[in-house]
Amino acid sequence: MVRSVVPPLAFLLPMIGAAGVIPLTAKAPRLRKIALAMICLLEIAVAVSFIPGVLSGTEYETHLVQLTPKIWMYLHVDAMGALFGLTASVLWLLALVYSFGYMEGEHRLTRYYVFFMLALSWTMGVAYAGNLLTFLIFYEMFSILTYPLIVHEETPEAMAAGTKYIIYILIGGSLVLLAIVFTFFLAGEQTLAAQGGLLAISMGKGKLTAVFWCFVVGFGVKAALVPLHGWVPDAHPAAPAPFSAVLSGVMVAAGSFGIMRVVFNVFGVALLRELDVMRWLTYIAAFTVVFAALLAVSQDNLKRRLAYSTISQMGYVALGVGLLGQEAVTGALVHIANHAFMKGALFLCAGLLIKRAGIHRVSEIDGLAQKMPITAAAFLVATLAMIGTPPLSGFVSKWFLGLGMLDVGQPAYLAVLLGGALLAAVYLMPIVYAAYFRPPSAAVLAIPERKGAEAPASMLGPLVAAVLITVLLGIASSLPGMPLSLARLAAAIAFK
Amino acid sequence: MEHAEAVETVHAAYSALPALLVLVPLLAALLVRPFGKRWPSVRNAFVVGTSGLVLLGSLAMIGPVGASHRIECEIPAMLGTLRFTVDSFGLLFAIFTSFVWFCSTLYSLDYLKHEHAHDRYHATSLVVLAANLGVVLAGDLVTLYLFFEALGLVAFLLVIHTETEEAKRASLKYLWMTVIGGFMLVGGIFLTYAIGGDGTLSPIAFREGTETLRWVASILLLLGFGVKAGMLPVHVWLPDAHPVAPSPASALLSGVMIKAGAYGIFRTLLALMRPEVAEHLEESAWHFTSQLGLVVLWIGIATMFIGVGLALGQKNAKRMLAYHSVSQMGFILAGLGAAGYLGAHGAMGVAGGLYHVLNHALFKSCLFLGVGAVFFRTGELDMYKLGGLWKKMPLTFLFTLIAACGITGVPLFNGFVSKCLIHHALVEAAEYHELVSLGIAEKIFIVTCGGTACSFIKLIGFVFLGKPKQEYGPEVKDAPPRMLAAMGMLSAAIITLGVVPQLVIKGIFEPGLELWGIHPAILDEYLEKLFLSPADLMSVAIAFAIGATVFMVGMRFGLFHLKAPKWFGVDYWYGRAAVGLIAFCGFLGAWYDLGRGFLGDGLRWSRSRYRAEWARIDRARRRFVLTLATGAPGPRDQHFVQGAYVTLERERQATVRRAVSDAMAQAREWPERSEADCRGYVDAVRSVANYMAGRIFRERMGVVSDLVRYGLAEEVRHGFDDVVRETVPSRDIVSATSLALASRRMAGDNVTREISAAVNAVLSQERFDSRLARLVPVHGHLARAAGTGEVVRQALPDLAAIRAYRAEGLTRLERSARWVTDITRLAVEAVTQERSSWLLDDRFGDESVLGTRRAIQRYARDMSFNVAMIALVALAFLVALGIRS
Repeated sequence: MVRSVVPPLAFLLPMIGAAGVIPLTAKAPRLRKIALAMICLLEIAVAVSFIPGVLSGTEYETHLVQLTPKIWMYLHVDAMGALFGLTASVLWLLALVYSFGYMEGEHRLTRYYVFFMLALSWTMGVAYAGNLLTFLIFYEMFSILTYPLIVHEETPEAMAAGTKYIIYILIGGSLVLLAIVFTFFLAGEQTLAAQGGLLAISMGKGKLTAVFWCFVVGFGVKAALVPLHGWVPDAHPAAPAPFSAVLSGVMVAAGSFGIMRVVFNVFGVALLRELDVMRWLTYIAAFTVVFAALLAVSQDNLKRRLAYSTISQMGYVALGVGLLGQEAVTGALVHIANHAFMKGALFLCAGLLIKRAGIHRVSEIDGLAQKMPITAAAFLVATLAMIGTPPLSGFVSKWFLGLGMLDVGQPAYLAVLLGGALLAAVYLMPIVYAAYFRPPSAAVLAIPERKGAEAPASMLGPLVAAVLITVLLGIASSLPGMPLSLARLAAAIAFK
Repeated sequence: MEHAEAVETVHAAYSALPALLVLVPLLAALLVRPFGKRWPSVRNAFVVGTSGLVLLGSLAMIGPVGASHRIECEIPAMLGTLRFTVDSFGLLFAIFTSFVWFCSTLYSLDYLKHEHAHDRYHATSLVVLAANLGVVLAGDLVTLYLFFEALGLVAFLLVIHTETEEAKRASLKYLWMTVIGGFMLVGGIFLTYAIGGDGTLSPIAFREGTETLRWVASILLLLGFGVKAGMLPVHVWLPDAHPVAPSPASALLSGVMIKAGAYGIFRTLLALMRPEVAEHLEESAWHFTSQLGLVVLWIGIATMFIGVGLALGQKNAKRMLAYHSVSQMGFILAGLGAAGYLGAHGAMGVAGGLYHVLNHALFKSCLFLGVGAVFFRTGELDMYKLGGLWKKMPLTFLFTLIAACGITGVPLFNGFVSKCLIHHALVEAAEYHELVSLGIAEKIFIVTCGGTACSFIKLIGFVFLGKPKQEYGPEVKDAPPRMLAAMGMLSAAIITLGVVPQLVIKGIFEPGLELWGIHPAILDEYLEKLFLSPADLMSVAIAFAIGATVFMVGMRFGLFHLKAPKWFGVDYWYGRAAVGLIAFCGFLGAWYDLGRGFLGDGLRWSRSRYRAEWARIDRARRRFVLTLATGAPGPRDQHFVQGAYVTLERERQATVRRAVSDAMAQAREWPERSEADCRGYVDAVRSVANYMAGRIFRERMGVVSDLVRYGLAEEVRHGFDDVVRETVPSRDIVSATSLALASRRMAGDNVTREISAAVNAVLSQERFDSRLARLVPVHGHLARAAGTGEVVRQALPDLAAIRAYRAEGLTRLERSARWVTDITRLAVEAVTQERSSWLLDDRFGDESVLGTRRAIQRYARDMSFNVAMIALVALAFLVALGIRS
């Protein structure tokens, strides 16, 4: 443990951006863009700065504010948090730059950017929270204050989706609160421990099971476990595309991250094995994977289809956690990072389609490659990654998940793993095929001509970057500092 | 540049060669587009050069592999490292792959003149070459899977290259089969870990209790590789996809790429599922391999037979060749399966299968190139519409004939050797455990050879021999030199391998098999005694005899044009399954949305229901609290009194109006009287009627308030309006009386007594009270008497009682509490009384005034409630203080 002043920067920086930069630069959009991008870059620098230390076994901590005599607001950077923080900050930069192009000419930009930066701030807080209360504070803030981003377009659908979102999230949040109160009641205030151990079996099996399910159901709403997933397919199509990318890549994953924190840092593997509750989480996750994928096949709205795909993919993460095997957890953790970028890329593609071509539906994509070759190519690569084609990043996470299933002696789950991937092919490949080999649809023919590239560089750039990261996370996954190394370390610590 | 780099590394370290073989074409593919954009000829030279370089590189591995049996190399990428290992079998595959690729690339330069997107073709071709080499050189399963998937997915571009509708359909089928095959493969690879494998291509030791998993893993691997290999029953994409590609690509697809699948099956059966090599290997160690081998063998037999059967029905030459690819893969599988079945004695099977892999690569690509050349010149692929081309295209004819001899197994051509080896392996297998069924398999093998012969008699006969079925223009001449050169090289290889089989058998198979614990001595025996022996020649002759017979019979009866119903093929059922899956998803989605809709409606309904119920409860609560605070009459009674008031007031006004209108009607009948007179009359009538109606009203109101006081309002409320309506006849009496008394009133007489008498008469006639009383059920009286308000009121003490408290010796706190309650009650009572008096006061007649008054009454009621609440709070405060002290 090393005391450090850097962790608070992670959530202070974007807050400064939101509170200072955005109001001050209302008249100078260029300056605002540059300043915000710089803040995000600094944010990435902060996230990256932890990684060498974390990989060499150092963990950073900061005691921030004393809330009560016993409880501090306390930040703590470990491998799991570093992984999540890194993923979030990089994806946020991409989405931010993409927003510059996407939100051009939209209304109420100040509100959008303020909440966008604030959301980053809370997310980083979630990543680096060192005890349950700190985690809760950031988690709730970030759940509730993203509402303005979801309803940003203020169409009736967006408002309805926002209402749905807030109802789901509040119910989930109150369950988490209940669970945390319960934990305090049982264990008193303690920081998140590396191998769990806050709770012990002597506290009563029934109580512990109740706490566990409160946590899992509470976070499960965010992590979109079926049947708690209802807000996801509505919120994604309603939100602006850059925020959909973040929503899918990081926000939903934050729920899974919460489950991981609970499983590894609150309960600990040994206790959960004794409680024998993870079996049920695994069943739910497996059902989520298959059911959501089956539903995705029949969706015509592209972003809705992608949203169902997110549910299915997050099911993999929960599945990996539920299996309680070191390899499987590695797979689950690395899938958070991998999925963030591949799904991010897909949503950025969807945004380009909406912005440039006015295309919302899958059936209008025919022949897209002729007019928007880069978008189509990016979609292709991201699709292959989603299916789990080597050497792209999706394969890496599925590989570890698969090995994890064998590790814990449950090869039957391979059917879920591969079935989900096959269904991913069923719901994504036809889009790619149509984009390349079908005669252009009316909507595609109606795409207005544009000088230069097919879309502004501020939109194409992040898309290409996301795709490159997807490729990189596959080909170079074993380099130190890559998510895989962090995931391996985190899993190793959890199963020590 | 590429040359220099590769050559340098060859000298530097041989072990880097496999990785370079994969990377060089991959990187070269990146340069195809930049070259092709400006200088197509440079691009052509570049792609041929690259594939030539790869061929040289493959050949350069012969030395090191021969010296040290295997060479290894690693690239740090993906999950740690990509590992390449080359043993003699991998080397064999690499060499023929790069050789056929080189020929095909050379051929494609001219051939593609008819096609579009040359850069795409060449770039794809180079990537696929890299992937294909990656598969056969891979040192572990992950590497193998990586390149296998890349191979399958990128080759999609070769299948769809022409972008015709037919090509699109075929390519879709290809794509899905590839994707599903890939998943089966990766599932199988995962399961090899589950049964104790370490991910390398070395034998997985048998462990107790994993037999089922071992079977599942083997079957998944078999299917995964089998998709690519065109194995039955997952071959369905092959006959569609191979013919639609451009011919050089068909040659690659059929000649080389499906061998990647065969390679995988070979490794599965004989590298993964084989027992470890040991000093004393028991026969039982081979048990699993043997069983699996038997499965593969029978799949092979089925594949070869059905493939040939389907090939015979084709008229499109390329399609026929594609079906023969399926069939020939059957030969290979049968050979490999026999090898697995025979275990340590399976050298003949391994050699036969792998030799056939090599041979098929050569002659099938040569055949596709030959048929492609015909298509290139004539634009026709239908065998029945061609003919007599041997004169126009002699060299093409020659090379195609050589390849046909190869595939049909004419002695001294390569197919003869491998087919004989497989045949011997089958015979051995039949004799090994004396399985009768394998004897049948051997017969099927011979018949299939006959079918193959028949097919190629057809091909050569219809396309090149006989009479031309159409007029050929001047453009039909022999293929361009580069195409001929490509075919020539392949033909040379076919003949070489047919004449000197020792080259491969001794050079590659024997050392490789020795390492794997399979006794190769039998191969030497074959080469010395059995090669070109009369028995083998005899079996070929039998096959050709069968072929010729089938051809004659088929032509005589038109059997080659028979079509099976579409449900006969597995293809149809796969299609149905796919459609079914999509339909299922559609249904699921629809039902899910429906369910969600129901849920949403239910939620909305229960929300509105909840609101309504809550409002009801709230009203009841308010009423209850009001009753508690203000006592009877409760708001319902009040409401009734207000309603009754309004109804009776209306009745009163109606009565007056009736009298007045009667008076005016009468006044009109008196034309002799003056207007002032008439007005005086009407005024008099109005004042009398007003007085009478007022009295009646008060009396009735008195009845109502009596009833309310008795707590009977609830019972009376419903019939009240009817009762009032029954009293309408009273209007007539009032009207008549006022008309009669009007003149006396005008005269200034005192008519009070008459009026009173009339009113009394009306009242006694209408019996308003008894009419209302009739509405009251008998038991109602008592029940209402015990009304809440009364109970509460009686429970609370009055002023006298308060005074009495002082004497009771209560504590100060209790006293003050009681005092507060009583003061509250008194205040409330006062307000209530005040309100009741307002209610019954009729100093105002106007409707708007009535409304205002009611509002004030409501205000009073609410205020009384508030006062009560404040008092309660204050009381609570005092209690709290008391507790503290």
